[in-house]
Amino acid sequence: MASPSATADVVAPRSSSSDNYLTHDKGVLSWIFTLDHKRIGVMYLCSVLFAFALGGLFALLVRTELLSPGHTIMDHDTYNQMFTLHGAIMVFLVIIPGIPAALGNIIMPLQLGAKDVAFPRMNLASYHLWIVGALFMLSSLAINAVDTGWTFYTPYSTTTSTAVVPAAFGAFILGFSSIFTGLNFIVTMHKMRPPGMTWFRLPLFCWALYSTALIQVLATPVIGITLLMMIIERTVHIGIFDPTLGGDPVLFQHFFWFYSHPAVYIMIVPAFGVIGEIIPVFSRKRIFGYKFIAISSLAIAFLGFLVWGHHMFVSGQSVLAGTIFSAITFLIAIPTAIKVFNWITTMYKGVIHLDTPMLYALAFLWVFTIGGLTGVFLAVMSVDVHLHDTYFVVAHFHYVMMGGAITAFMGGLHYWWPKFTGKMYPEKAGRIGATLVFLGLNVTFFPQFILGSRGMPRRYYNYLPEFQPLHVLSTLGAYTLGIGFLLTAFYLWKSLKNGKTAAANPWGGATLEWQCSSPPPYYNFHKAPVVSAGPYDGYENLMYDEAIGGYIPRKSSSST
Amino acid sequence: MADSDKPENADKEPKSMQGSSEEQPPEPREDATAPNPKLEPTEQDEPEEAARRDAPLVADGHSGHDSHGHGLAHTMPIWMLVSVLAALMGLTILTVSVTSFDLGSQGNLVVAMVIATIKAALVVTFFMHLFWDKKFHLILFMTALLFVVLFLAMSITDRGEYQRNIDLYQSTTSTTPSK
Amino acid sequence: MSESTSQSATTAAQKGGHGAPAPAHGGHDAHGAHGGHGGPHLAHHFDTYQQQFDAGKLGIWLFLLTEVLFFSGLFCAYTVYRGMHPEVFVYAHYFLNTTMGAINTCVLLISSLTAAWSVRNAQLAQRKLLVLNIVITIACACTFMVVKFFEYEHKFHDGLLPGPAFHPTEQVWELESFKHKHPEAAEYAEKLTKAAEEKDKAKAAPVAVAAGSTVAPETGVFEKPTEEQIEPLIKAGVIGPMAEDPTRPSKPRNAHVFFGIYFFMTGLHGIHVLGGIGVFIWLLLRANKGEFGPKYFGPIDYAALYWHLVDLIWIYLFPLLYLIH
Repeated sequence: MASPSATADVVAPRSSSSDNYLTHDKGVLSWIFTLDHKRIGVMYLCSVLFAFALGGLFALLVRTELLSPGHTIMDHDTYNQMFTLHGAIMVFLVIIPGIPAALGNIIMPLQLGAKDVAFPRMNLASYHLWIVGALFMLSSLAINAVDTGWTFYTPYSTTTSTAVVPAAFGAFILGFSSIFTGLNFIVTMHKMRPPGMTWFRLPLFCWALYSTALIQVLATPVIGITLLMMIIERTVHIGIFDPTLGGDPVLFQHFFWFYSHPAVYIMIVPAFGVIGEIIPVFSRKRIFGYKFIAISSLAIAFLGFLVWGHHMFVSGQSVLAGTIFSAITFLIAIPTAIKVFNWITTMYKGVIHLDTPMLYALAFLWVFTIGGLTGVFLAVMSVDVHLHDTYFVVAHFHYVMMGGAITAFMGGLHYWWPKFTGKMYPEKAGRIGATLVFLGLNVTFFPQFILGSRGMPRRYYNYLPEFQPLHVLSTLGAYTLGIGFLLTAFYLWKSLKNGKTAAANPWGGATLEWQCSSPPPYYNFHKAPVVSAGPYDGYENLMYDEAIGGYIPRKSSSST
Repeated sequence: MADSDKPENADKEPKSMQGSSEEQPPEPREDATAPNPKLEPTEQDEPEEAARRDAPLVADGHSGHDSHGHGLAHTMPIWMLVSVLAALMGLTILTVSVTSFDLGSQGNLVVAMVIATIKAALVVTFFMHLFWDKKFHLILFMTALLFVVLFLAMSITDRGEYQRNIDLYQSTTSTTPSK
Repeated sequence: MSESTSQSATTAAQKGGHGAPAPAHGGHDAHGAHGGHGGPHLAHHFDTYQQQFDAGKLGIWLFLLTEVLFFSGLFCAYTVYRGMHPEVFVYAHYFLNTTMGAINTCVLLISSLTAAWSVRNAQLAQRKLLVLNIVITIACACTFMVVKFFEYEHKFHDGLLPGPAFHPTEQVWELESFKHKHPEAAEYAEKLTKAAEEKDKAKAAPVAVAAGSTVAPETGVFEKPTEEQIEPLIKAGVIGPMAEDPTRPSKPRNAHVFFGIYFFMTGLHGIHVLGGIGVFIWLLLRANKGEFGPKYFGPIDYAALYWHLVDLIWIYLFPLLYLIH
């Protein structure tokens, strides 16, 4: 019943001319060498969005090529390079760092009530490593873009003449960036909680980031050694993966997927966290089943390590292994479903506000459910034998990655935009953008389920004419998606200059980041907050104030 | 198994920020000027060292919380350090000498691994201080080992299962690298 | 960020504004070498030394976990190959110098002791002993690298390189280590080789064959070989189904794989040793200036933990690579 966080600032200064983290220090160097988690997060955000635009460009090129069978705008070797770059950039540069490094870095210490992360220098190092890794990866583009597919399967990756080593080395460095972020988050959440912030008062976004961080720390080293082994194999020919030298290419796949499957949970679990923040606030109702959602994040993180072989059903892997992996994959549906049901139950009898973040969250529920369910179809070995390496798989993972992770990223971006920029984006444009993205994504990827189940293979440059209508539809959807994102980028950019000044708490959230000003001061909080209530408690104690365009505590509330 | 991933003190009372294993009520901060219970070394120290130790670092007002009361963490006694080294050396000698006995195709490997694991356990428990550390570190370490075992087990099992196909391939082709 | 810290009012007054001028320390460890807020060596985002230490401890343990998983891939590759091709490993281990491996093991164990001891020294602010122990740790680590260098040099010299560069200059049965362990087998292999060479000569110049020196293809004039003669050779893939050359003693197929794995594992380990040396040199400089004491010895502790892990990995590498029976 207590109002959230009694002692911290409640009504923050509105004017953004007062000192905040953006204005605290001036000059490019103050950004390059900053130790402030908010600035590091903002830099990550800009970089990740730039990489997203680049990866998206490659996607549009791929989709344009697929408008007609055979040559449309490029030859087949170039096509291989296009989809490889699209995949590698999106996976390694955008989605894996995405929500944790960009949004998490800015918001998590604020939500925790901490001054910074545990190791600010490591945080900065993580960002610089991202830049270095990105440069290496892009250098492959400049030399002779890698064409192996983002999965770098041997023996092709060890024999192709394209620039595999820079790309793989770039991914190797990005792995360290990811590890540093994860390590930092784990220690921060263990050691830097203020008084009263028990584990079960942490916001669900923090729980999600914690689970993700565990995966980052445990899984990423394995891709590191795998890429290193692949590079050495390619340069020195030691014979680990080459059958003619006594090696085993399936072993590469085991090594690769031991990381890459948990990696997809690095991508989606933070998205779950964002959705868990948005839904209660925009339903004005406490989250249903908080503990279940929190623990299910950990369960998904753990189970994610046990299922990597479901990417290898047709690789030559034994049936025994396949059976085990298939069975455990079914289990992951359970904690995931628990989350989805709990979110829906949260909305039940709530007061729904259809602002842009909520639109993205609702879109997420629809699109992610489709993506997740189709994953279960693929988990069935006998079905996967037919669907592996078809467009069905492509549709599945785009539904979860684009429809899941990116949609949640967009939702979180809009949700926290006022907080870290101090400006409101234009709501109408936001809704249009969200609608275009939702439409675009369904029109792009739903036809691909049909294409795949009818036999259209993935990564194919050429195809039978009967598949063309669906490909054209899919490409139209892709352009729609592109327009939606361009529109979003445009109005967000404009809002930086022209947007309405944001209140400290424009949405009426009860988590700690809404207790400091928008943008937050350099030092986060005047005094460390004393936490005496849960993160989704007390919406009834907040009321909307037209004058500032945000929520303030109800004056009639008797608690202090 | 999800339990081992569970953060410590999951259900306990509000924790203070020090991450101490003791429970503390949620007061804003401890009084930093409270007298700092002296951190006594367990042995004689040179006077200059003792003087430097007493030099005014700002008191953090927080006494050492571990069971031995030796400041921020337990201090290893010298006798313990040296005995562990002696044990490790002894086990190394043992490992090498065992190779002169033939214990069957797998026997030697098993013995070598068992001895290596004992050595590793000594290093981790004593040199790496895990015996006196927070339980959570032990849980983390075991989790990592568990995942390594999982990774190895599945890869080896799988490889064993499809070995037949590889043997067939190798017996029908020449597999030597160019000389 | 000073005035916002949640220190009590008294310490806030002590510290004042954005912090007293920090003592100029080199070194940028993750916990802030610039003091002046809560005290020397207390980073501004931590409230107490205990919190800072605990955070660093958890951090280094997490990092060690990543190292364990990093090496796990190589251990997996090793296990898979040894399981499938034991003869390659038996063959190759004769080429390794067990003594050097054992010396390296002992050297690392001693360095582990001095590293752990140095933590104690730091906790008790025993500056001179601390410096001494760090010096010994570095010295042991360098000894390890020197021994490793000599081992690698021998390998290059003997043509024992990974992949297509694998051209051993000596046959395995000509090695001292093999002859010492299996003298009869070594002799037998010599005999077989000579016989095969004679056969080749006979094929090349059939007229010049002298009676008594020719032998029939496999069995020839020799008696049936004994266990001692033949078993070590089969186990090492020198003759038998796993050998490269069915007509004479040679080496097992893909023998180079062992050396690929060997160089990769020991090389990666060596890089970590070098990294450790670098860290310890930096800490030596700081320890010499007297930076460490009972409130602040984290960096020594964390570096020592890292070093112990490097030692741990070697504890497993040694029997797996050098003590194959």
